[in-house]
Amino acid sequence: MDIGRFLKSARQGFSLGWKVESNWTDPWLFSIYSIIRPFASLLIVAFIYIIGSQAGGTVNPEFLAYLLVGNTFFIYAATILLTMGWLLHDDREHYEVFKHIYISPGTIHSYLLGRGLAAASIATVSVVLTLVFGAALFNLPIDPLAINYPLLIASVAVGVPSLIFTGYMLYGVSLVSAKLEWALGEYVSGIFFLLAGVIFPPEVLPTWVQPLSNVLPLTYFLRVVRASMLSPGAPLPASDLLYLVLYSLATAALGLVVFRLAEQRAKKRGLIDMKAVY
Amino acid sequence: MSHSRGFLTELELNLRAAYARAWVRIVGGNREPMWIAFEVILPIMTLSAYVFVYRVLNAPPEFTGFVVIGGMMLAFWLNVLWNMAAQLYWEKETGNLTHFLIAPISRMAILLGMALGGAVNTTLRAIAILVFGTYIFQVEYTIGDPFTAMLIFILTLVALYALGMLFSSLFLLYGREAWHTANLFQEPVFFVSGFYFPVNLLPFWIQVAASILPITFGLDGIRNVLINGAQLDGVYVHILVLLLFIAILLPLARWGLAYMERLAKKEGRLTLRWI
Repeated sequence: MDIGRFLKSARQGFSLGWKVESNWTDPWLFSIYSIIRPFASLLIVAFIYIIGSQAGGTVNPEFLAYLLVGNTFFIYAATILLTMGWLLHDDREHYEVFKHIYISPGTIHSYLLGRGLAAASIATVSVVLTLVFGAALFNLPIDPLAINYPLLIASVAVGVPSLIFTGYMLYGVSLVSAKLEWALGEYVSGIFFLLAGVIFPPEVLPTWVQPLSNVLPLTYFLRVVRASMLSPGAPLPASDLLYLVLYSLATAALGLVVFRLAEQRAKKRGLIDMKAVY
Repeated sequence: MSHSRGFLTELELNLRAAYARAWVRIVGGNREPMWIAFEVILPIMTLSAYVFVYRVLNAPPEFTGFVVIGGMMLAFWLNVLWNMAAQLYWEKETGNLTHFLIAPISRMAILLGMALGGAVNTTLRAIAILVFGTYIFQVEYTIGDPFTAMLIFILTLVALYALGMLFSSLFLLYGREAWHTANLFQEPVFFVSGFYFPVNLLPFWIQVAASILPITFGLDGIRNVLINGAQLDGVYVHILVLLLFIAILLPLARWGLAYMERLAKKEGRLTLRWI
């Protein structure tokens, strides 16, 4: 594989992704747009906590911090999965450029990686802004000087690619079926929202569901992120970090296999440039 | 006499157009059983997450009912946003809008058909969400007056879809900006309209902001009747406000559609794709 060429087309995929997502307006309005939706989502869970804790008489500021940090870092999952779940529809049916991308030699993987990283970059802007505003507004026990930054960066560096490879699977499924492509990302991110311990501990789930939670890289991603921000002085969550790496590697392998199988099937059945207008 | 016959013919034509558009939407929206299943399961998964948070906080059981009813009404808000407001944008992008515009019918007939079809489809899903949500979380209702609840529900739908008709005209003119605007109307409206908690527990200024949306009054009224056991006299303000919304939004939608169409034709980008 020509690494230089791969990186060049990944950079072009990133640049294209960034422009498609952001050039519909001026940068100032785009910044506001990037913050309003995640911030409203943060306010929903914050007010559920405030109203629920008043009604139930259970005041637990640690739990507020738990759910606000989880909800904020879930922005990565929502943005990447929604973008990559919708991407093939956009490329193939809307802008009608997929066949050109696909026939460019050795481009599709680097292109997908670039688009995924562009989504992750946009999510990073939203995560940082939402976290800053959220921490200030709700007086979260987060000390910017005490955050374990190496652990935080490591968790993002492993967790985000696992989401991009999940996006690979969605892209692959969309290659062979137009039935779900417009909502696939929403469905998968909805499952993750419920199972991955985003706004409540997975132990609250029925016991028969918990094994599903335990194999999601996002579950460990959020645990490590919380450990780095909310209890930076505590011992390193080595097992969570290990599971994050292992399940992320498994997701990457699965993503590539699903994509490859879907690609072969699409070629065999002549679906590569299918325009279903479903 | 001829004028009267002309009016009736035109009315019949437009009603047939509305029926045809509704039929396409109903059949098209239900042609994949997998879609129906997902459109019921996904909202239940989301509302389950919020129910679990309330349970962690030991909130009283009626909060589960608030969330389930909010999840049911959320299906309508999403349908209005993406299948009413954004629909003409999609029709433009797929090339159907041109056909709608050259057909000798009122644009309002098309929007009416879209609204009716969307309301039928979404009502089926909303009922399923309500039934499954109630069963899974064992929600108990204290129903005050079912006819009042039904009246508020119907008025809310009419007001909501009238709002969707108004929004759809904006999409005729604005392309991707409007698409992103619809995106913006999701979570912020979930928050201010109190989809997951009673709106009267929010700060005053947020309640003021929420009062510009009919869904806020509809949701609050339905919850009051179904969970708090309110009678007609306890929710008559909700009913009056919803009637006011309908009286304002429907004519505004008609005016907005005509205005945007004129403007878009003048600027020559009514059927221009990818903008």
